[in-house]
Amino acid sequence: MSNSPERAFVRMEGVGHRYDPRPESPLAVKDINLEINRHEFVAVVGPSGCGKSTLLRMVSGLLIPSEGEVSVFGKQVSGPRDDVGIVFQKPTLLPWLSVRKNILFPLKHKYGRYARADEKRADELLAIAGLEAFGDKMPGELSGGMQQRVGIVRALLLNPDILLMDEPFSALDAMTREQIGFDLLKIWDEQPKTVLFITHSISEAVLLSDRVLVMSQRPGTVLDLIDIDLERPRSAETINHPRFSALTDRIRKHIYEPEAV
Amino acid sequence: MNQKLSDNRLQRELFKFAPGLFFVGLVVLWEAVCRLAALPAFVLPSPTAIVNAFFDVEFSRWMEHLWATLSVALMGFGLSIAISIPLAIAMMRSELLQRTLYPLLVVIQSTPVVAVAPLIIVLMGSDDPSRVLITCLLTFFPLVVSTATGIQETPDELIELSRSLDAPLRRETWQIRIPYAIPHIFSGLKVAITLAIIGAVVAEFVAAEKGLGYFIQFSTSFFKIPQAFAGLIFLAAISLLLFKSVQWTQQIFFGWSLPKK
Repeated sequence: MSNSPERAFVRMEGVGHRYDPRPESPLAVKDINLEINRHEFVAVVGPSGCGKSTLLRMVSGLLIPSEGEVSVFGKQVSGPRDDVGIVFQKPTLLPWLSVRKNILFPLKHKYGRYARADEKRADELLAIAGLEAFGDKMPGELSGGMQQRVGIVRALLLNPDILLMDEPFSALDAMTREQIGFDLLKIWDEQPKTVLFITHSISEAVLLSDRVLVMSQRPGTVLDLIDIDLERPRSAETINHPRFSALTDRIRKHIYEPEAV
Repeated sequence: MNQKLSDNRLQRELFKFAPGLFFVGLVVLWEAVCRLAALPAFVLPSPTAIVNAFFDVEFSRWMEHLWATLSVALMGFGLSIAISIPLAIAMMRSELLQRTLYPLLVVIQSTPVVAVAPLIIVLMGSDDPSRVLITCLLTFFPLVVSTATGIQETPDELIELSRSLDAPLRRETWQIRIPYAIPHIFSGLKVAITLAIIGAVVAEFVAAEKGLGYFIQFSTSFFKIPQAFAGLIFLAAISLLLFKSVQWTQQIFFGWSLPKK
C-alpha cells in the first residue's frame, strides 16, 4: 500500500479549525495533512479533546474547517454530504421504531418514504449484521452490542462511500467489543467502504485498521501515521503476533512520552 | 417448610391488597369516629351520610353538573394543548421567540389565576368562554415547559444524522424532535389534566349556575355538608378518571415511551 497514491479518496490539506471564529482564539485542530485511499480503513487515536471528532465532522461536511481544505474525490467538501454514513458512540436508535424501520430511517427521513426494494435491502443488512430474527423487535429489546450493530447497518443503508465512526464501541463491554470489531471487519469485507474510525483503544485501532493516525494534545495535529502491515483477515490470533505488540508499543510511546519519539 | 411457604404467600397477598385495605380501614375509622363522637353532620358527615346524600340528588342533576364541569375542563385542556405544543416547538426553533416570550409566560404562570378569574369574568362575561380561558391559563404552562424540555433533550447525534442527510427541517421536527418529546409531553399532560379540573372549578366558584364546583359551593352555603362532600368525592373521582385516561392513552398508543420495568 502506498501512502501517496495518485489521487487520494479523502484529502485534507493544511486543515485547522477553531470553534470560536475570532482569529486570536485557540485552534482545536491544526495543520492536518492526510490522504486516505478508497476502501482504506484508517483509525484515529489520540488523547481526549485532541479534535478527533472535529476531524470526522469535517469529512462529513457537518463542520467546515476554518483553515485549509477537505476534499472527497477531488471535490471540496462545502456542506453536509449524503455519501457518508455516520456511526455514533451511542447507537442512538429511535425507540418508537422497530429495528427494521430504524435501519430504513435515513431514507424515510431524507425522502419521506421508501420502497419495497428498500425493505429488502434492510433485511439483507440485518442478515449481514446477524440480526435477521430481530427486524420486528423494538430497540429496547436488544442488547447494547446488538443495538450498535443496528446503528452500523443503518449507516450503510444509503450505500455510502465513506463510513465515519466516532468511538462506536466505547460504550460496550470488553468481550462484546472485541466480537463486534471482527463483525465490523466482516461487514467491511462484504461492503467495502472508506472507513475513518475514531477510538480510545490502541489495540482496537491496530487490530482493525490499515493505518493508524496518531494525534497530539489539543490543538490536535498529526504525530504519526503508521502502516499496519498485519495480514488480513484479522482474528483473535492477530493479537499474539509479535508485530502487533511492536505496533501498539510504537503508538503508546507517542501518547505517553511524546518527546521520546 | 410448608408453614414458611404459606407465610410467604400471606405476605404477598397482603402486599397486593395493602392500599385497598388501608383505604377501607380509613373509611371504617371515619364512620366509627362520627358515630362514637356523635359528630353533627355539618362538622364532619359520616361516609354513610355522604352516600345517602349522593343518592338523594337526582341522577340527571348530577349529570348536568358533571357535564358543565367536564366540558369546560376538556375544552380548556384541548385549547391548552393546541396552543402550548406548537408554541413550545416554535420557541425551540427560534431563540429570538424564546427570549421574547419566555418572560411573559413566567409572568402569566406567576400570577395567581384564582385572583385573575374574577377579572376575566368581568371582562368576558360569565359564560363558557371565560371559564375555558381560566382553565387554559392554569394548564398551559406545564405543557409548554414539558414539551420544550422534551424537544431539547433530543440527542445531538440524531440532529447531526438529520443534518448529514440534508433532510428538511419539518421532518427533523416531526420524525425526531416531537417523538422524542412524547414522554415529557405526557408528563405535562398528566399535570395539566388535573389542573384543568381545578381551573373549571375555580371558574365556577367565581360565576356559574351549573357544575360540580358550583354545586359544592351552593350546598355548603345551605349547610348541606354531606351533599357538598358527595360532590367533592364525585369531582375527585372524575379527576382521577381523567388522569387515568391520559395514562391509558400513553400505554396504548405510546407504549415505547414508558420507562421499562
